[in-house]
Amino acid sequence: MYSIPHFIIPDLILLVFPFIVIGSRLFCDYKSKIPWRIANIGLMLIFVLLNLIPLASGEGQFFISNWRVDDFGVLMREVLILSALLGVWLSKDYFEHGADGKPQMHQIAEFIGAIAFATFGGITVVSACDTLTFFLGLEIATIPMYALTAWNKKDQMGTEAATKYILMGSVATAFELFGFSYLFGFAGGLHFSEIHAAVAAGTSPLLWVAVLFLFCGIGFKLTLFPFYTWAPDVYEGAPTPVTAVLSVTSKATAIAFLAVLVYGPLAPIQEQIAPLIALLAGVTLFVGNLGALKQSRLRRFMAYSSIAQAGYIMVALLGPAEIGKTAIVYYLFVYAISNYLAFFVFGIIGHHREETFASLRGLSKQNPSLAIALAISMFSLAGIPPLAGFFGKFHLFFSGATTGHYMLVTFAVLNNVLALFYYIQLIKSAWVDEPDGHLTPLRLTKRQRAVVIFLSIGVVAIGFLPFLSNNIFAGFNY
Amino acid sequence: MINDVTLGYLILLLPLFTFVVNGLFLGHKHHKAAAALAVTCNGLAAASAILLAIHYFCSSFAPQKAILFEYEFIPFVGELVAKIGMLIDPLSVMMLVVVTFISFMVNIYSIGYMREDRSAGRFFSLLSLFSFSMLGLVVATNLFQMFIFWELVGVSSYLLIGFWYHKPSAVSASKQAFILTRFADSFFLLGIVLVSYVVGSFDFSVLNSLGLAGFKYDLINLGICEVKRSTALVIGSVLIFTGGWGKSAMFPMHIWLPNAMEGPTPVSSIIHSATMVVAGVYLVARLFPFFAICENTLTLIMWVGAFTMVFAAVIACTQKDIKRILAYSTLSQLGYMMFALGVCKIGQVVAVTGWTASTFHIFTHAFFKCSLFLIAGSLIHQVHTNDLDAMGGLRKKMPLTYVCALISILAISGIPPFSGFFSKDEIILAAFQGRHYAVFGLALFTSGLTTFYMFRLFFLAFHGEPRHEGVKAGHVHEDFAMTLPIVILAIPALLSGILGKGLFEKFFIPGRLHVPQLMRLAHADWIPLAAVGIAVLALLIAWFLYASPKAKIARALDETNRSGLYKVVYHKFYFDEMYYTVVRQFIFGGVARVSRAFNDIVIEGLLAFCIWFIHKLGNLVRTAQAGYLPFYLGTLIIGVLIWRFFGQLPL
Repeated sequence: MYSIPHFIIPDLILLVFPFIVIGSRLFCDYKSKIPWRIANIGLMLIFVLLNLIPLASGEGQFFISNWRVDDFGVLMREVLILSALLGVWLSKDYFEHGADGKPQMHQIAEFIGAIAFATFGGITVVSACDTLTFFLGLEIATIPMYALTAWNKKDQMGTEAATKYILMGSVATAFELFGFSYLFGFAGGLHFSEIHAAVAAGTSPLLWVAVLFLFCGIGFKLTLFPFYTWAPDVYEGAPTPVTAVLSVTSKATAIAFLAVLVYGPLAPIQEQIAPLIALLAGVTLFVGNLGALKQSRLRRFMAYSSIAQAGYIMVALLGPAEIGKTAIVYYLFVYAISNYLAFFVFGIIGHHREETFASLRGLSKQNPSLAIALAISMFSLAGIPPLAGFFGKFHLFFSGATTGHYMLVTFAVLNNVLALFYYIQLIKSAWVDEPDGHLTPLRLTKRQRAVVIFLSIGVVAIGFLPFLSNNIFAGFNY
Repeated sequence: MINDVTLGYLILLLPLFTFVVNGLFLGHKHHKAAAALAVTCNGLAAASAILLAIHYFCSSFAPQKAILFEYEFIPFVGELVAKIGMLIDPLSVMMLVVVTFISFMVNIYSIGYMREDRSAGRFFSLLSLFSFSMLGLVVATNLFQMFIFWELVGVSSYLLIGFWYHKPSAVSASKQAFILTRFADSFFLLGIVLVSYVVGSFDFSVLNSLGLAGFKYDLINLGICEVKRSTALVIGSVLIFTGGWGKSAMFPMHIWLPNAMEGPTPVSSIIHSATMVVAGVYLVARLFPFFAICENTLTLIMWVGAFTMVFAAVIACTQKDIKRILAYSTLSQLGYMMFALGVCKIGQVVAVTGWTASTFHIFTHAFFKCSLFLIAGSLIHQVHTNDLDAMGGLRKKMPLTYVCALISILAISGIPPFSGFFSKDEIILAAFQGRHYAVFGLALFTSGLTTFYMFRLFFLAFHGEPRHEGVKAGHVHEDFAMTLPIVILAIPALLSGILGKGLFEKFFIPGRLHVPQLMRLAHADWIPLAAVGIAVLALLIAWFLYASPKAKIARALDETNRSGLYKVVYHKFYFDEMYYTVVRQFIFGGVARVSRAFNDIVIEGLLAFCIWFIHKLGNLVRTAQAGYLPFYLGTLIIGVLIWRFFGQLPL
């Protein structure tokens, strides 16, 4: 009998998972909690199974010669599944009642299915061995996002955002395809090893055109300058849980795409594309920080913040493969936890009030624990020492500095000061400003409280217990 | 297994442990627990120090130096490595005992003194930090370590002097102490840099075994000018001494010490007896062989010490604030210690009796001065004022305190067989042997003044009729926690002289010197007699003026009919005023105004511009985000073009 290698099991479960969740709806009415429970069990099961896969250094393990599971892939899977799980948890409340002036959402089973498809797309990206699978993975990750953005059919803002998103996304996809076709023309093959060999043998303008368009296309998904313009509008228009998923899953997929490309087929010319990466990183983080300075709506603010974070992550791509990939994976973990913590807090506020800075006023007096969670997540995103965010940023910058990009690292560190300024503004609203009597009081459900506590502890613990991150580093044998 | 290394660690780490635990956990709510922990740990540290001292002095190893442990922690260029270690020699062992013991006593005393203070926990925490930093300074194996702990002493004294931060006078006093000693420390640091640059090492063992001859001919570039390396060393030695000058509050940097009385009395007590001010004297004693080769640095030290000694004693005779009298007396005693180190230099040769005398005086002085401050604190605690005007007649109400005060005052006055007699006698003898007759005369004269002002304090506080309503009414008692350390301290105040004399004469020599040494010294048997005679005479004068049946105390305390000279002295020669004029008008007025203008216009202007510019850029990003889809799509195309041309791809 044909036996299935164990490392592929989580991927297979994830593949059938959305069908099961959506299919379960056939057997129960629309109020049933069964899809939600299946989703929880399924995602947690996948996460646990992923943790059981032994990390293997080197080429990784192959499934039918074209599906590669290496250590970077496994850790990226964990990030993506974690993000999906947290996204599902965050979205639950939005199916029970409306929030932030938007009506209640429906069809939770399909919603979870869409998130799972997007996650599977991300997994395809990190497993691909040829440009075709690679491209398909990226598309599988993107297309459910368009649908998710417009999930709230009664919300005009969401529809408008989705329209913008899909139009711009199509152009970006066209760029990608254009780039891939040139790459094929240059290398004469689709497989990464063929491209790698061709690139190592010598370059030609064909290759550079391909690189340019690939970077520009992925720049759209990663919200790099000047391709980020959709992000603030879409982040604000989409339902809050979708925004959170967009900012983590979508970004993680895009950065994984770049990491696979830069450390895979394009590795021989990494040095030549380093100036482009450095410029993209520097300009993006600067523009993201500038944009965030003057925002008053929380989700728009988070959009700019995540643009800036994308710039920071790009810095790591300048480093050598192991250090760079390690820094990226570690940072994505930290970023996912910190970002979801922020979105949970904003979500809780959004259930009772508008999602603006003004709604945070006096939070420390009304609900101190929520204010503490907010402060933890903001300080972590800003990279203040004992918290996880600091170590994450430290590894990113370290990776960039390893190859001597001190100018960029200095610029990024200076920008971090600028970033601190706006993160502090938020904390100031919550801690310093006097409470506003007109604000409706906040109530936390048990699930919300548990998740906020869990994530807060996570952010603090990863910072205080660096050995947790050592487990991640252990996967990469230096 | 208790060996000397373990003891060494215990001595250092127990106070640090107390500081951390009290500071972090117990300080806020559990005052009693904090006090108990502080007393226990400091007591254990004191026991460890005494045990270590017994081990050390009983072993045949005794006067040699040993390093119990040493860690490298900052490697500078080449051989220059900053280390943290623990040096053991007679001097540091003696200081360990003094610091831990005094700290133990003061901690016990503070239980009573701080009983009603809301932030007593913080107090115990800081007090332990203070003794930890002084211990670290004492055991330093090199200049760098000494400087680190030197600064830590400064910081903790700042925190303690300004402990009652709600009192503006305490805040300004702590600021003054900190700034003034920091000012001196900056010279110290400069000296360390210079000396380590010339010598290539921070280690005391290297610095103390230098001979100047090797440095006579090489030139060294100091950036400003080229000098001989030997000259650079001499400049460095003066700079290093400047650090001790400020820390030990020698004239004219003395003004912070009397003002530092604003802190709680236990703090004054520990500052004046075992930590902080003694650090300056300790520095000179520790580096004595180094100072000895540096031409006339020791002579400078002698004159600074001698002048401060007389100057402070004269002021002390007129003060009415009991703590200030004690503060000036400390200044005067520090002057004794300083000049005793200085008088060792006789022309080109050196005699080491002064060194022995000085370290001996550090030892004896610590006990009786600590005791005196604790007594002053007790009195203040009962009558709620520092003013001698309001005391008097406390003898019957506080009999134990009275007896202990008498012992300590006899000790500081140098009356045999009390401890101060032996050490002071040696100092005066050293001045005589050094043939510095002017200083010798001043020392004898000051010893008379000391007796006079101490007995003036004694008679006015304890004898006569009560001048305070509370005392008259009988609301005075002796607090157990506060009286216990006073009584304990009276024992060494009485006996440490007799018992310590042999020990000091046998073991306390400054190490191998690289200058000619004078071995045969004239011994004058009449000096102790003269000194005691002068002291007794001064005592009688004080008795006649302030305690005899005919004394008119009301007149003695009246300020209206005083001569001009008295007023000048009473106002401390208007030194504070002069100092403030210079500092306020010149430094704050001139230098500060210019630098402030620079700060306001140039730096803040630049900063404001940067902020304005960044906000403008932020607005730009925001306005670009108008929600207009064709514009967004355009950015995609433009983005490709931008990175085509600016992406630095070899296209």
